[in-house]
Amino acid sequence: MTGRLTSARLVGAGAAAVVAVVTALLPLFLDSSQLTVYTELLLSAVVTTGVSLLLGYAGQISLGHGGFYAAGAYTAALMATHGMPSLLGLACAPLVAGLLGLLVGMPLLRLRGHYLAFATLAFQLILLAVIGQQSSMGGDIGLSGIPALGIGSRHISDFRGYAWVAWLALVAVMILTRNIVRSRPGRGLRALATSEMAASSSGVPVGRYKLVVFSLSAAFAGLAGGIFAFFIAYVAPGSFGVLVSFQFVVMAVVGGLGTLWGPLVGAATITLLLQWLNDLGARPGMPDYAPQVFSYAVYALLLVLVVLFLPRGLVPAGTDALRLLARRRLARAQPGADAAGAADATGAGVEEPVPSPQRQ
Amino acid sequence: MLTTENLARSFGGVFAVNDVSISVPKGELRGIIGPNGAGKSTLFNLISGHLAPTRGEITYVGRSLAGTAPHRRAREGVAIVFQGARLFHGMTALENVMVGAHARTSHGFASAALRLPGHRREERLIAERAKEALEQVGMSDFADVYAESLPLGQQRRLQVARALCGQPELLLLDEPASGLRLGERQILADLLRDLHEKGITMLLVEHDVSMVMSLADRITVLDLGTVIAEGTPDAVSRDPRVIAAYLGQESSDAASR
Repeated sequence: MTGRLTSARLVGAGAAAVVAVVTALLPLFLDSSQLTVYTELLLSAVVTTGVSLLLGYAGQISLGHGGFYAAGAYTAALMATHGMPSLLGLACAPLVAGLLGLLVGMPLLRLRGHYLAFATLAFQLILLAVIGQQSSMGGDIGLSGIPALGIGSRHISDFRGYAWVAWLALVAVMILTRNIVRSRPGRGLRALATSEMAASSSGVPVGRYKLVVFSLSAAFAGLAGGIFAFFIAYVAPGSFGVLVSFQFVVMAVVGGLGTLWGPLVGAATITLLLQWLNDLGARPGMPDYAPQVFSYAVYALLLVLVVLFLPRGLVPAGTDALRLLARRRLARAQPGADAAGAADATGAGVEEPVPSPQRQ
Repeated sequence: MLTTENLARSFGGVFAVNDVSISVPKGELRGIIGPNGAGKSTLFNLISGHLAPTRGEITYVGRSLAGTAPHRRAREGVAIVFQGARLFHGMTALENVMVGAHARTSHGFASAALRLPGHRREERLIAERAKEALEQVGMSDFADVYAESLPLGQQRRLQVARALCGQPELLLLDEPASGLRLGERQILADLLRDLHEKGITMLLVEHDVSMVMSLADRITVLDLGTVIAEGTPDAVSRDPRVIAAYLGQESSDAASR
């Protein structure tokens, strides 16, 4: 049992290393427009990792993470355009977003389910409206002329540099998430997702845990926002509409809630598919509204398909399929081993166990 | 160890628990019985902190529990096994039990996220205690099984293990035997007897009167939110008010109260 478990862990670690190396080398072979897609994909994955931690493990929904993304972006943009070191701006982006998450979460996390979803959505709308009214923040027009990210006189001069910054951010965020999930507080989070009552009577400080994880996932969004600001060199309320928040939730659900790799897989699937459909819609002979129809319809369609056929998301479906395949091969190699494989399958997962996404 | 004084809780003007004063000394296994709607579960929710009393006072080890949150009560050694299953889904049996260790451990998000040195040590301690607790309830073989896929009897015992992992001093058990088959009941009764011998103070709410009679040192009988009798199992079973309550009769002194 333990032998198989460790070997499954080893396979998982090996696969993770391969993915890390391949994605780290990938920017070397991409042109600048592909690098833009790559960077935005990874930044989405950073935010989605936080959303997934909140929704998939702790069972709390947020439709306002675009707001924290904006908070991070504006923090970095404002500090950098006021002559502060860009690295300081980048460091403050997750801090400010996390702090904002703490403030917003205190009242809002008393709500549950749909009420929490709508309250977080309202938070984002209010935030965007406030930013739009502040001339010191560029108003509706936005802030431009954000300097490049760098230390002293050394600056990131091309898209490739930002691609790697985004890669580093994603690795950091995924490691933090993994460490939290597989620990005492992580178990507390997963517990309170099923029953706050039973969790609190087991000694889990439910209110505090919800607040910390909300703030942490806001900080992840803020970090991505900070990188985004330097990368695009321009921030405006229009870049952080509520659709962005929906997108993060869709990515988390499509990839697989309660899994470490789900956010990256979900972000990649949605981003690349949208890109492809956009190209398809923009082909000559297509009507003017084609790209828009494609990009809106695909969200709905993909979400419906995933919920119908892969309710736990792509990553759990994929690992299940792999496991089934391995077991079949084992059974063919040594008849009679099937039963043993079946008994093991419950515990020997590469992925974390998946809490049901449908909870109240 | 645990005292309630004139404890009362009303829901919309109707008292589910009214003027309940009980005193449970350390090490006692106190049975609490009563017909449906007697206020047993409400009493437990008041003691575990999930409901605030309308009136009255709960004292635990000489300290008032007023305004103490449930997770703090857990840290003080108050554990509860809920009616129904109330296990954590998507987590293995072992992980479920490990959650119970929250009551006695401390490391938080920062030390977990950054894998600080204390973290690993405490994780090892938690895993050890959880395995011990699983063994104590005879479920070591099911450590890696998802909790929600276990049969009810094992889910109930798993809840006991989760409570034990927090090393409780006072264990509240809300109808742990309901829905269990005879064999499972026997196993559960043996487990409770075992815990009683280890000196854990227990409050046992149970519909299965014969089980309570065989286990409890003393029994408190509730009816319509008030204590109608208290004493040894023998004395209680002969009490006419108890017999009346269980037969569903409106005896004259219950009506005049």
